[in-house]
Amino acid sequence: MAVRERRRVLVRRYSLFERVVHWAVAITFVYLMLSGLALFWPPFFWFAHVLGGPALVRIVHPYVGIAFIVALLVMLGIWAKDMVLDRLDIEWLKAVPRYATGQEEGVPESGRFNAGQKLLFYTQIVAGILLLLSGIVLWFPMQFTAGLRQASFIIHDLMAIIAIGALIVHIYMGLFYIRGSLQGMVEGVVSRAWARAHHGRWYRQVEGTSAVITEEAHD
Amino acid sequence: MAFEPTAIKAVSASVTPAPGVRNVPEVVKLIDVSSCIGCKACEVACQEWNDLPANVNRPFFGSYQTVPDLDWNFWQLIKFNEIQRDGRLIWTLTKYQCMHCGDPGCLRACPAPGAIVQYANGIVDFVQENCIGCGFCITGCPFDVPRLSPTTGKVYKCTLCSDRVSAGLEPACVKACPTKCLSFGTRDQMLAQASYRVEQLKANGYDKAAVYNPPGVGGTHAVYVLPYGDSPEIYGLPRDPSVSFVDVWKGGLRWLGNVVIFGGIIGAILHYLRFGPRRVPAEEPVEAGAAPRPTEPVPGDGGNG
Ligand code: HEM
Ligand code: SF4
Repeated sequence: MAVRERRRVLVRRYSLFERVVHWAVAITFVYLMLSGLALFWPPFFWFAHVLGGPALVRIVHPYVGIAFIVALLVMLGIWAKDMVLDRLDIEWLKAVPRYATGQEEGVPESGRFNAGQKLLFYTQIVAGILLLLSGIVLWFPMQFTAGLRQASFIIHDLMAIIAIGALIVHIYMGLFYIRGSLQGMVEGVVSRAWARAHHGRWYRQVEGTSAVITEEAHD
Repeated sequence: MAFEPTAIKAVSASVTPAPGVRNVPEVVKLIDVSSCIGCKACEVACQEWNDLPANVNRPFFGSYQTVPDLDWNFWQLIKFNEIQRDGRLIWTLTKYQCMHCGDPGCLRACPAPGAIVQYANGIVDFVQENCIGCGFCITGCPFDVPRLSPTTGKVYKCTLCSDRVSAGLEPACVKACPTKCLSFGTRDQMLAQASYRVEQLKANGYDKAAVYNPPGVGGTHAVYVLPYGDSPEIYGLPRDPSVSFVDVWKGGLRWLGNVVIFGGIIGAILHYLRFGPRRVPAEEPVEAGAAPRPTEPVPGDGGNG
């Protein structure tokens, strides 16, 4: 086929700063998850060897936890305004069975984030804060009472389980199910068709602004 | 490690069976609180035998006790508890150290393979070589025994002189005791001696005397004779120690975690196979120069694009 000049229409979805914050949260979380699972169940213990050795992992895990919470709070700061659940989000949640089985009729259009993404966000924020508070107790076991340590183990483990469960869904959606999402979080842009299909209300807001870019492309 | 692997009957964080095959009798250190005179010979012997560099020169803190509590370099302590009972002052001089539980909460809590072992004779030992310094054992232990060293980042506690015992000797504390408050022998011998001593105490007016060998932790290999056996608290011993917290932590939570992780991954795979990836068809590219003529949006694309 002959090389022809073509245009692609892209929509700017995430700023560089948003992407840096997201991947800071993701990388620290994955480290925390793997090093935490190593201590959670013996068949996962080898994760600790891969990450540099079990005694080292025990020292590093809490510091990475601090980095994670800092990044997560920055994320809260930049995205809180986009994460407010509105009336249509409630409708969307009622339509989740249809959404999850690939039907589109009756699924309301979403804003910048859909209700599922918003709930993931709140889940991670709440879990992150509880993981931090309980984690500080577990960091210095000799400084706290037995009751506090026991409560902290229960909270830390439960919140980690919830956060990991949410992450599995998140990775599945972002990497596998909703094709085209990853480009948004890596390159910062998505195709106009993607924006319209998945975040219609958001697309109409940015339509006509400099967020919509027409790019020359080659075959 | 003082013992051969063939004498190890339980190993922390191990999914395969422990290597122990030796059939050796269980041992017990019997502590007859009624005959302790608080001389602290056992403390000195423990520090000596284990070469522990404890700093015991500290300001008076209102007790005859050597130090306020156990520490990473102080594995056994005579607690001088002053108690009021029936209008009388009682000084309960109680030797405190690892109880060498039959069902050790520390071992079950430990996430590091081989960092805590239990020998066939009942001794529970920490193997610092494999210790990762997480301190989980501190929370797993119902007796608040293990202590983390801030310098080495490892936990330490009484070994019941597993090195001496493996060579056929009694623990250092027992050897040093001048009143026979401490004795050491097989579990059967020691439990018989304990019951005998309880009978003696009862005959002497201590009608509540009892043996302290709590079943909630599978019995212990440090067993007490308590003159006021109805209230172990006055000796600083928990009434009903148990490992039920460890059951929740290392049982229920683990189960839940694995269901969520493996269930989540399997669920995602099945969902993908059934409902496939959801692609949005690319807009029909427009040729350069032509008026931008976006194709109709495809909001209702069901995903076979
Ligand atoms: C390492 C694995 C991860 C991958 C591959 C990944 C991927 C993605 C992708 C592709 C998006 C864009 C979705 C869109 O534009 O609609 C996204 C957004 C987002 N990510 Fe992640 N992410 C990961 C880890 C995390 C973690 C650990 C957290 C939080 C603890 C997190 C929180 C978020 C949030 C709140 C958003 C915005 C809303 C949403 O899309 O759900 N991500 N991620
Ligand atoms: S007393 Fe504590 S440290 Fe000793 S065996 Fe029992 S649980 Fe482990």
